[in-house]
Amino acid sequence: MSGKDISEQKFGLFLILPSLIILGVVALYPLFRNLLLSFMGSDGQFAGLHNFLLLLQDGRFKKSFLNTLLISGISVPIQLSLGLFFAVVLHKKFLGREVVRTAVFLPWALPTAIIAVTWKWIFNDFYGVFNDLLLRLNLINEPLAWLGRPNLAFFCIIFAEVWKCTPFVVVILLAGLQSIPSDLYEAISVDGANAWQNFKLITLPLLKPALLVALIFRSIQTFGIFDSIWILTGGGPGGSTESVSLYIYDTVFRYLKFNYGATLVVFNFVISLTFVLIVYYMFATRRQFEY
Amino acid sequence: MSIEKRKKNAVWRKLKISFFYLLIIFIVFFHLAPFLWQVISSLKNAEEIYSIPVKYFPSSVSWDSYKHLITSPVFLKNFFNSIIISLATTFFCLVFATLSAYSLSRINIKFKNLLQLLLLLACLFPQIIFLVPLYEFMAKFHFINKSFALVLPYVTFSLPLAIWMMAGFFQTIPKELEEQAMIDGFSRMKILWKIILPLSWPALATCAILIFIGPFAWNEFLFALTFMTRDMSRTVPVAIALLSGASMYEVPWSRICAACVLATLPVVIFVVLFQRKIIAGLTRGALKG
Amino acid sequence: MIKKLFVAVISLIVVFPLLVYADEQVKITFLWWPDPGGGFEEVIKDFEKENSDIRVEMIKGPTSTDTREMMYITGFLAGRSDYDMVLMDIVWLPKFAKQGWLVPLDEWFSKEEKSKFLPGDIEGSIYKGRTYRVPLQTDAGILYYRKDLLEAGEYASPKTWKEFIEIAGKLQNKPDIWGFVFQGKQYEGLICNFLEILWSFGGDVFDEEGNLVLNSQEGIEALKFMYDLVHTYQVTPEGVVTYEEEETRHIFQEGRAVFCRNWPYMWKLAQEENSPVKGKIGMSVLPSKKGIQSHSTLGGWGFGISKFSKNKEACIRFIEYITSYESQKKLHFKSGIVPTRRALFKDKDILKQNPFYSDLYKILLSAKPRPVHPDYSQVSDVLRRFVHRVLLGELSAEKALESAESEIEGILRK
Repeated sequence: MSGKDISEQKFGLFLILPSLIILGVVALYPLFRNLLLSFMGSDGQFAGLHNFLLLLQDGRFKKSFLNTLLISGISVPIQLSLGLFFAVVLHKKFLGREVVRTAVFLPWALPTAIIAVTWKWIFNDFYGVFNDLLLRLNLINEPLAWLGRPNLAFFCIIFAEVWKCTPFVVVILLAGLQSIPSDLYEAISVDGANAWQNFKLITLPLLKPALLVALIFRSIQTFGIFDSIWILTGGGPGGSTESVSLYIYDTVFRYLKFNYGATLVVFNFVISLTFVLIVYYMFATRRQFEY
Repeated sequence: MSIEKRKKNAVWRKLKISFFYLLIIFIVFFHLAPFLWQVISSLKNAEEIYSIPVKYFPSSVSWDSYKHLITSPVFLKNFFNSIIISLATTFFCLVFATLSAYSLSRINIKFKNLLQLLLLLACLFPQIIFLVPLYEFMAKFHFINKSFALVLPYVTFSLPLAIWMMAGFFQTIPKELEEQAMIDGFSRMKILWKIILPLSWPALATCAILIFIGPFAWNEFLFALTFMTRDMSRTVPVAIALLSGASMYEVPWSRICAACVLATLPVVIFVVLFQRKIIAGLTRGALKG
Repeated sequence: MIKKLFVAVISLIVVFPLLVYADEQVKITFLWWPDPGGGFEEVIKDFEKENSDIRVEMIKGPTSTDTREMMYITGFLAGRSDYDMVLMDIVWLPKFAKQGWLVPLDEWFSKEEKSKFLPGDIEGSIYKGRTYRVPLQTDAGILYYRKDLLEAGEYASPKTWKEFIEIAGKLQNKPDIWGFVFQGKQYEGLICNFLEILWSFGGDVFDEEGNLVLNSQEGIEALKFMYDLVHTYQVTPEGVVTYEEEETRHIFQEGRAVFCRNWPYMWKLAQEENSPVKGKIGMSVLPSKKGIQSHSTLGGWGFGISKFSKNKEACIRFIEYITSYESQKKLHFKSGIVPTRRALFKDKDILKQNPFYSDLYKILLSAKPRPVHPDYSQVSDVLRRFVHRVLLGELSAEKALESAESEIEGILRK
């Protein structure tokens, strides 16, 4: 490498340094501590893979893991498609666009814990607005216990999650849409392309980076879902909506089983990392991050 | 084109437009509905909240909850704290993220991809495992009840998303621009400052919005609860959680909804301000010069 | 020379008080909910007046018990003395004691003194023979009923479950009025209800020696009874699986239920001016199977001292003060606590304002704490899931108890 390249390298590293330092100071020590704990028993002695073996036999963990996969697997695609649809609509010029956009950001802007309590109230079987509306529209005959039946509760959680997090996708995709040069559309309209072809040939491919960011971050965040489930169902009914984060919280803060909790965290991390790596290498085009 | 066909086209166009606006109204309603419910609830008095059948409009508007909050010096101070902390987080995060993102997307450093993934690391763990070690750290160095105790972790957890977004955006800026500038003798830093940044407003503004209203600034609860123990140092989400009824089981709905509505105002203002920037940075045509 | 002396004297006068106060004034803290009644702040002020060398700070945390528990635990895990005293829920005690986070109080909390408190609360303050908590306020499950409806139907308040089902079934008028509501959501409140019913059939989770006796004939009968309330006798709405205290209170207070199981706090609210059921309610001990004594589940809070505190002596003085007769009385009137000193239930002023306290006292005397075991949280979580599934109708009582017992055995073994 030439001298210029080396000094470029140094400069590049220098630019990244602050971020790395911050992440190192804040994140590294807890992570290492966590890793260590997962290999130790509650007596402080080295226990090897013992905790991990326990994990594999843990029925409650398997259930919570499955729940989390289901919640993520269903809500993330919905968020992405809905988000894409909203972003495309909001990208057009129309009267009152600014107001509408601000309204669309709102669910993401409200504190999770508070909005979850609102949802809990909305889904209440006696006082809830949801039942009230459905009854008035004659879609149901008697109030349903939305948060009281496993399938319904699942639906409520996904509904609340989609509502809250779609704006996140919309914001990211809007920014992506913004950076597509309009003359590209002009170019193919000369050839007589219609709206659908515009979308398929230009919009979608060029949105790929933004979609990737939205997909990865939403998946990671949904996988760690905690607040809304805690408030809406507490993991019920009958443990059917418990997520992995909830189980980790209980293990560490309520059962005070720190070692096992650390094991759960490590396992969770490995899964998340694998997922991210797969998505990243599948969807990232070669063009990314190459000089 | 015959007159009938022209008329048909006009009708069809009108239909499309009205359908479009209907869609917009539906979108707005879908996003606002629970929030509207909060606004309505904040104006009701306690009994009406629990009435069956559900009362959609309060029979008498009561501003008590709002009065109570606005005249509370603690709540106002908490509001102020939240604003300062969120602004600081957004600012520092953007600065570090932009530098890092520029480096990752433009400069050929070794292990680029590895570094990118490393930066994601903090996000792959549940927040709670950072709680106790960070608390120990902050307490030991006497940062408890000081803004720094929250700004540091918030910036840390917001960095990954910000870096990824900015890096992705920088990719879309043609390299020719910088090559030209470098030939003209500009240094990297100058290029970043004078050329890249002005073009990046859409991405910067988007990042700013996501950070400010995201789960690690304005609305963050867990760390804010643990690291700020004095009434006057607290932030808004914790202040809302501390709103209590006369007994431990009661939930003062009106007041909580009112606090939420108030807490949404700065966020709305922030979003409106930065939205303009997103649209302003739109003229990509400037690039072709 | 005079100038130097002058300066020296002035410095002494200025510095001496600083030194004295810096050494002597001690600060102790504890974490509690915001207490809008203001009773705690007042007691603290009174204490500081009498003890000028101690400053007490009450740090305000959220209403949610679980959140405050997490805050205490975070402090302990970090090995810090941020909270000198621990105002703890009765169920936290065995957990914290086992971790070694609490200081045993037996030296100054004598047997004689303990006898002045409610027995159940004291039972819940002891772990492995040592006392770690001084009870301050108590809570117990109560059966509330619509006196007016029962009187109209010429029923006395039910003593057995059989009578209870009969009355509830006859007096209910669905969907306007249901027979019985209780806390059935998957949370700790569910276990409080479950334990009461379990005990009322003669079952238990652990016996006196600490053996697991959950999966018994009595246990199955009790759990099946809970299922029957919703699905067989149909006196309880299906939505019960989502109710916490406030939901049941609103249903009962709006006149939509004949019976309601809830904590003492509901009485005052249901008797307020704008309550539709004002003057129409009564309270009694929970019904039981014929021949078996009924027990309420005990809740409640008390003070312990953190191992990490640097001012344990000051803590002892404050705890003695705040759990005294006068302080508890003040806290009762200002903050609405149910006191833990037995004598207060015969106090004239208290009885004048709350005549129902004489009934409440009887209920409290037979109230039992939840199993005092360090793994109680985890046991409770197991129970919650299985009891909830039985309520939902997903699992039979037999299967549920069998699985629950084996899971709990697994937990206890580790």
